[in-house]
Amino acid sequence: MTDFAALIPLLVANDVEFIIVGGAAATAHGSARLTLDLDVVYSRDNVNLERIVRALAPSQPYLRGAPPGLPFEWSVETLKKGLNFTLITTLGALDLLGEIVGGGGYDELKPETIKIEVAGAECMCLSLQRLIEVKRAAGRPKDLEAIAELEQILEEARQA
Amino acid sequence: MKHSQDQTNTSDPVIEAYKKHIDRTLIRHNLSLTVDQRFQQLMELQRFAEQLQNAGRKARQKQ
Repeated sequence: MTDFAALIPLLVANDVEFIIVGGAAATAHGSARLTLDLDVVYSRDNVNLERIVRALAPSQPYLRGAPPGLPFEWSVETLKKGLNFTLITTLGALDLLGEIVGGGGYDELKPETIKIEVAGAECMCLSLQRLIEVKRAAGRPKDLEAIAELEQILEEARQA
Repeated sequence: MKHSQDQTNTSDPVIEAYKKHIDRTLIRHNLSLTVDQRFQQLMELQRFAEQLQNAGRKARQKQ
């Protein structure tokens, strides 16, 4: 299980610059669909990379689905060498995304976020409108049902 | 810069078909919750899914 109520405040407490996207963002907007991981788009700024490494080190990040024992080093250098990381931590599954299809990176997405509070921690979440656009742009068949629900949520929210 | 909203407004027949089967009462219920409560609910759902998976695994082992 992914402990959203622990992972999100952990990132916030360490001043990590991130935006919640994907299924967790859908949950924040009212989706009833099950999602198993926390997807975040993070700033690639050097200082932010240091904060991410410091924040998550105690949670022992490792490549999700990879066999144990690989020489995976959790460090700023590792983050610099890659972009998107699919991780498993002691707090659950976390996807660190430098960019998302149809959305770009942190700086491009930041103006299209809303502030939400999870377990007392305020953070940024991709807006419902933009989340729908990004999912549409990704063009993944598995997202079609999720898009249908998000558009219904948008409609309900507008009627409320 | 705000992104164009054209993509969202484009109708997709598959998405429209799925919409007919979306439970709006669930959506209304979720919208009545706080964001915090929505995440708590998700984590409860994850726990339940794990329990079901474990039960399924045990049942298969007995066969």
